[in-house]
Amino acid sequence: MKKLIQFELRKIFSRRLTQAALIALFLLSVLLDFSAYQNMYASDGISNEGTGRIAVEIDKAIAGKYKGLLTDEKVQQMMIEFKPKQDLHGMNAAYLYQNALQSALFRNFSDLDGNWNGYSVSDVYGNEEINIGYTYGWLNTSQNMVKIFIVLSLVVVIMTAPVFSGEYGGVDNIILTSKYGKTKCGAAKIIGSILAALIITAVVSAINLIYAFILYGSSGLDCSILFAPADFAAGYIPFNITCGTLLKYQILLAFTSIISVTGITLVLSAVCKNQTVALVASAAIYLFPVMLPVSETSTLFKIITLLPLYHAQFVFLMSVEQIRGNVLYALMAVPVALIFMGIGVFISRRVFAKHQVL
Amino acid sequence: MELKTIELTKNFGSKTAVNHLNVTLTNGVYGLLGANGAGKTTFMRLLCNIQTPTSGKIVLNGKNIEGLNEKYRGLLGYLPQHFGYYPDFAALDFLLYVSALKGLNEKNAKKKSKKLLEAVGLSAESKHKIKTFSGGMKQRLGIAQAMLGDPHILILDEPTAGLDPKERVRFRNLISAFAKNRIVILSTHVVSDVEFIAEEIIMMKSGQIVHFGKPQEITAEIDGQVWECAVPSAHAETYAAKFNTSNLRNTDRGETILRIISERPPMENAVRVQPNLEDLYLFYFKGDIEE
Repeated sequence: MKKLIQFELRKIFSRRLTQAALIALFLLSVLLDFSAYQNMYASDGISNEGTGRIAVEIDKAIAGKYKGLLTDEKVQQMMIEFKPKQDLHGMNAAYLYQNALQSALFRNFSDLDGNWNGYSVSDVYGNEEINIGYTYGWLNTSQNMVKIFIVLSLVVVIMTAPVFSGEYGGVDNIILTSKYGKTKCGAAKIIGSILAALIITAVVSAINLIYAFILYGSSGLDCSILFAPADFAAGYIPFNITCGTLLKYQILLAFTSIISVTGITLVLSAVCKNQTVALVASAAIYLFPVMLPVSETSTLFKIITLLPLYHAQFVFLMSVEQIRGNVLYALMAVPVALIFMGIGVFISRRVFAKHQVL
Repeated sequence: MELKTIELTKNFGSKTAVNHLNVTLTNGVYGLLGANGAGKTTFMRLLCNIQTPTSGKIVLNGKNIEGLNEKYRGLLGYLPQHFGYYPDFAALDFLLYVSALKGLNEKNAKKKSKKLLEAVGLSAESKHKIKTFSGGMKQRLGIAQAMLGDPHILILDEPTAGLDPKERVRFRNLISAFAKNRIVILSTHVVSDVEFIAEEIIMMKSGQIVHFGKPQEITAEIDGQVWECAVPSAHAETYAAKFNTSNLRNTDRGETILRIISERPPMENAVRVQPNLEDLYLFYFKGDIEE
């Protein structure tokens, strides 16, 4: 069995299309992370401003001054420090971006002119304790990983689609007449596909996290996402979780997305006689929820967000209300992924074993 | 060992590929002959249990193969008509993969694979990728994979396709040495291949067995119906088209010797000769071949 699994892994990773897709994925990861880093901008409003590494240093220095729990005093100090000092030529100060902390502050505590809007910390966050600091780097990484995980799911489709359907081109004769062709071989194909998908997900996640750690360090991982700069979708997750927790959820959901996609693709791979058909059909099923005109207020939204595309676009799934206590609804993705995989394992094994060679 | 088909039938829509076929196979080499579309490949696939019969059954030593699963497949070796492979695998790796599918342990698999590669004349290419192989080399690799694990039932669909005469001889010798105490079934269009090694001939037409027996026995059916006659070479084509002709041979006297299958002497100078398997094949399948 071990030998059969090794052969399946070798078959998966030796396909040209898989290799090209993986190279493209790694390049995309590096390009997205690097361009996001290069495009970062920060100004302290006095003398320092810059992009890239300088912007990160400025943001970190400013965040360092206010690090810790967000208090009304800190809000007032920051409002003074970040009050626009130049003529904005009619532009609203609320939309002015100086640096990450200023953006987060103005999103919650400023009126259009950049003056305090009168809200206290408890008005905005209730009884929640908001830990603030430099979160911009990790939130940027999280945002990039959404795109990367969607592409990763499609790469997994490319890797998995030929697992069964690729054999129907002629090797099925030999496999299905061999002793373990209808039994252990099917199981090895499934295990090989899951392992390949999990390995790639782990490697891609690790690369992105290590890269971010090198660029931004560990600062901000213990800070709340609720005090995020304005341009982060993560700001729409209405729960007081830290950046570190956010990333843990995101990676968990990337795995559930990949497991679900693998399950779906295995079924189509076993059913379709042609690997291109299996590939296109699997990709279409993965992407189709994006066409559904369902708004966040609809009751269907909770169900649709459990589809694998929304596991990768984790913000949607994480913005659904908590199930109970501190347990997020997003955790429902775990049983959903297991169901998709269970269906995939059951159907693909059965269909392959009963395949009629023509 | 006894492999038996009972009223075995396979329909594809309205077309019947195998029609109520009853045959009992015991240890020995069986040559399966038939024109294209006679149902040979379907029959072999049914024997391999990669197609389900529409009706009827196949039994091995009295047990339906459907229920035997791994036990039955563990006895099988199969070379399909169109041998599929992984282009980026080396020949040895491919055999090791098939060994794993057949449940051979790693040490034994390596030893067996190398031995078979040598037997089919591919040991020098064992580490070359299959995509670099010629058609004949791929076919030899296909034969090697079918023989892995010393199967008790070896089913070879067109094993000599793409092999040159030297490789054909090597193949015949290989099968002859291997066949002892096993059931070997091979189909081919090259009648001479089975004539040399098959102990029994199965002739199929329209999904049914029209003849089953030893080569000498079944050719006896057309005893007295095979003739050789000399005609002027200029008219040879005309005569060949007129009669059921199995062979034409030019002489150095400006004549052509025609080998004709006919109930009556086709011409006055016709000489009766001993029939061979090719004559019998043409006797049965002339219409199918012309179609």
